[in-house]
Amino acid sequence: MKRTATSVLATLAVAGLTLGVAGCSSTAPEGDAEGPVTVWVMGDSGENFETLVADSGIEVEVVAIPWDSIDEKLTTAVASGSGPDILQIGLSKLATFAEAGALLPLDDLIGDYPGLAADNFPVGVAGLSTAVDGQTVSIPWVSDTRVLFTRTDILAENGIDSPPSTWDELRDAAKTLAARGEGQYGYYIPQWDAPLPVEMTWSMGGDVIDADGNVDFDTPEFAAAVDLYTGLYADGSVPVNGDFDQTQGFISGVAPMLVSGPYLGKGIADSAPELDGKWQASPLPAGDGGSVSLFAGSNLGVWYNTDQKDASLKLLEYVSQPEQQLAWYELTGELPTVNAALEDASLNSDPNVKVYTEQLATAKVLPIVAGWDGIVGTELLNALNSIVLTGADRDTALAAFYAATEGLAIK
Amino acid sequence: MRNRLIPYLFVSPAMLLLLTFGIFPIFVAAVISTTNMNISAFANWGNVDFIGIDNYTRLFADKDFWQAIGNTGLFAVVGVPAIVVLSLAVALLLNRSQKRFFRSLRAFYFIPAITAIVAVSLVWSYLYNTQFGLLNYLLSLVGVDQVQWLSDPWLAKFSVGLVAVWRGTGLNIIIFLAALQGVPKEYLEAASLDGAGEWKKTFSITIPLLRFAIFFVSVTTTIAWLQFFDEPFVLTDGGPLGATTSASIFLYKEGFRLNQFGYASAGSIVLFAIIAVVTLVQLRLRRADDDY
Repeated sequence: MKRTATSVLATLAVAGLTLGVAGCSSTAPEGDAEGPVTVWVMGDSGENFETLVADSGIEVEVVAIPWDSIDEKLTTAVASGSGPDILQIGLSKLATFAEAGALLPLDDLIGDYPGLAADNFPVGVAGLSTAVDGQTVSIPWVSDTRVLFTRTDILAENGIDSPPSTWDELRDAAKTLAARGEGQYGYYIPQWDAPLPVEMTWSMGGDVIDADGNVDFDTPEFAAAVDLYTGLYADGSVPVNGDFDQTQGFISGVAPMLVSGPYLGKGIADSAPELDGKWQASPLPAGDGGSVSLFAGSNLGVWYNTDQKDASLKLLEYVSQPEQQLAWYELTGELPTVNAALEDASLNSDPNVKVYTEQLATAKVLPIVAGWDGIVGTELLNALNSIVLTGADRDTALAAFYAATEGLAIK
Repeated sequence: MRNRLIPYLFVSPAMLLLLTFGIFPIFVAAVISTTNMNISAFANWGNVDFIGIDNYTRLFADKDFWQAIGNTGLFAVVGVPAIVVLSLAVALLLNRSQKRFFRSLRAFYFIPAITAIVAVSLVWSYLYNTQFGLLNYLLSLVGVDQVQWLSDPWLAKFSVGLVAVWRGTGLNIIIFLAALQGVPKEYLEAASLDGAGEWKKTFSITIPLLRFAIFFVSVTTTIAWLQFFDEPFVLTDGGPLGATTSASIFLYKEGFRLNQFGYASAGSIVLFAIIAVVTLVQLRLRRADDDY
C-alpha cells in the first residue's frame, strides 16, 4: 500500500516537472510581464532587502539563497531556464555565471538609466573591471575589502606602538608576539583564505595576470609573496590547526593580528563590546608595490531571459542611489559601492569605516576568470598549505600549481 | 497467458521507478562521460563536443582522483570490519536481557542513525575543535598537548571515520537484534546440556547462524563506505589537503563546484564499476560457502 502511494506521488512529481519545464520554455512576451520582480539575495539578508525596496514602487519578491548552495542553485536554474529576474553574484563567481549565459548583457540597456553608469562606481569594480567578453553583465551592489586588524593593547604591551604598516614590520611584530609563550601566536592566516596570497602579490608590486590576460603566477613578486606566507609559518607566528577560530583568537588575544574584512570588525563589536578601543583596523600592510587590497563584494545582474527587463533595471537604479546604499549599510553593515555613498561624511565618521573606504579606493578585484575559486583558489591554497603544513617541497608544489592554472585566462 | 502477466503488473510501478531513477541515469551518465559537457552547455548545446575516452584518460592521470580512490579504499578496508564487529558485539550484549533497561538501551544506540547529519557534525566539530574542543580539554587535564583532530591529514581520516562508525552502527545493531530472534532456543539449550559455556555457544552456534545477517550487513556497509560522503563533507569538506576526500566528494566537487559534468560523469561510472565488482565478488563468495 505504501509503495503504491509512493509511486503515485513520484508519477505526479514527474508529471509536474514536465509541465513546469514546458511552462518555462514558452517564449516570453514583448515588454514587461505582470507580477513581481524576483530577486535572489545571497545569505540571510532577504528580509532586509524587502525593507530596502518597500518604498521603491516596484513589486518585489525576495528569495534568500544560502551562500553554500549558490553553485547548485545556479546550475539547476540555468539548466531549467527558469531563474529569478535579478540575482546577487559574488565577484568571484561572476565569470562562471556569465559564461554559463545566465546574465543579460547590459551595455545596450543602461544608457537610459544614468544611475547605473560606470562612473558612479569605484574604478576597481566598475565597467571593464568586471566585464566579461567586453560586455557589462552586472552592476556593483555591495563592497568588501581586506584590511589589517590589530589588538593595539596587546601590541603596546609588547613594545609595538602602532599597527605594522609594511609586511616586513608585520613579520617582526608577529614574531615578537608569538614569543609571549606557549599557545600564543602573532598572526593568523586562515587556511581557506585564497585571496590572501594574491593580495600579498599585489602588495609586492606584481600581478597574477600577464599582459595577454593569462593567469600567471610564475613571477618574482609571487615568489616574494610565497616567502612571506611560508616565512610567517616558519617563524612559528601562525597557528597550524585548520579549525582555529579567528574571531575568538582575536578576542582572546591568542592571535592579535590578522587580515580580514569589515565583517570581522562587526563580529568583534557585537561579541566583545568590552574590547572597544583596544583594537583597530588599519590599511593592509604594504610591500614594494604599496598597500593593495582585495575588492570583494557582490554585484547584481539581470537574468538572461527575464520578462521584466524594465522593472529590473529600474529596481537596480533604485538600489544604486546613494541614500539606498547608505540605508543598506545601516541594515546589514555591508559597505556601499556607489562613490557618492562611499564618500559620505556620516559613513566615514567611524575611523574603522574610513580605513575600509580608503582601502577600497586602491583595491583590485580578483581576475574575472571562470573557475577562479574552484581551480586557481583551491590549487593555490593546496600548494601553499602543503608547503607549510606537511613540509612539501616548495619548488615541486609550486610547479604543480603553475601547471594546474595553465591555459586559464580572462575572456 | 493472462495470468502470467499479472505479476508483472504488480511489480511494474517499482520497476518503473527503478528504471527511471536508477538505471536510466547510469546510461545518461555514461553518455555524458564521453563529452566535454560543462555549464556552458546550458547556454548553447553547440558547446558540447564528443571527446571519446578523453575524460577517462584524464581521470586516470589525475592524482587527486587516485588520492580520493585511495582514501575510499582505506575507509572501506578499516571501516567495514569496524562497523560489523562493533554492531554485532553490541547486539549480542543487548540481546542478553529483555528487561526494560536493555530495551531502552536499544533506542539509545539507534539515536545516531536517525539524527540529522548537520546537527551531528556541528556537535562533533565542537568536540574535535583544537582550541575549545571537549576532547582536547579532557586530554589537557592529564597533561596531553593539543591534538589536531581535524587538521592533521592522518588524524583527520580517523576522526571523520569515527563519526561514520558511530553513525553507522545504530541501524546494523537493529538488524542483528532482529536476526538474533531467529536463533532457535533449542540449539542453545542442547549445547548447554552438552556442557558448552557462554563463549562456546556464542561462537559455535549464534554467530554461525547469523551468517546471512552478517553477510547482508557487510554488503550494505561496504557500499555505504564506497559512497562515503556526508561526514567528510560537513566536517572537513574533504580537507586538509584532500586527506578526507572520498571518491564521492571528489565527484561532487568536480561536478557541482567546477561544473565539469562530463569529467564527473566519467568518475561516477568508474565508481559505479568498482562498487558493482566489489558487490559481485561478495555475492560470489557467499554462494561458495552456502552449501548447507
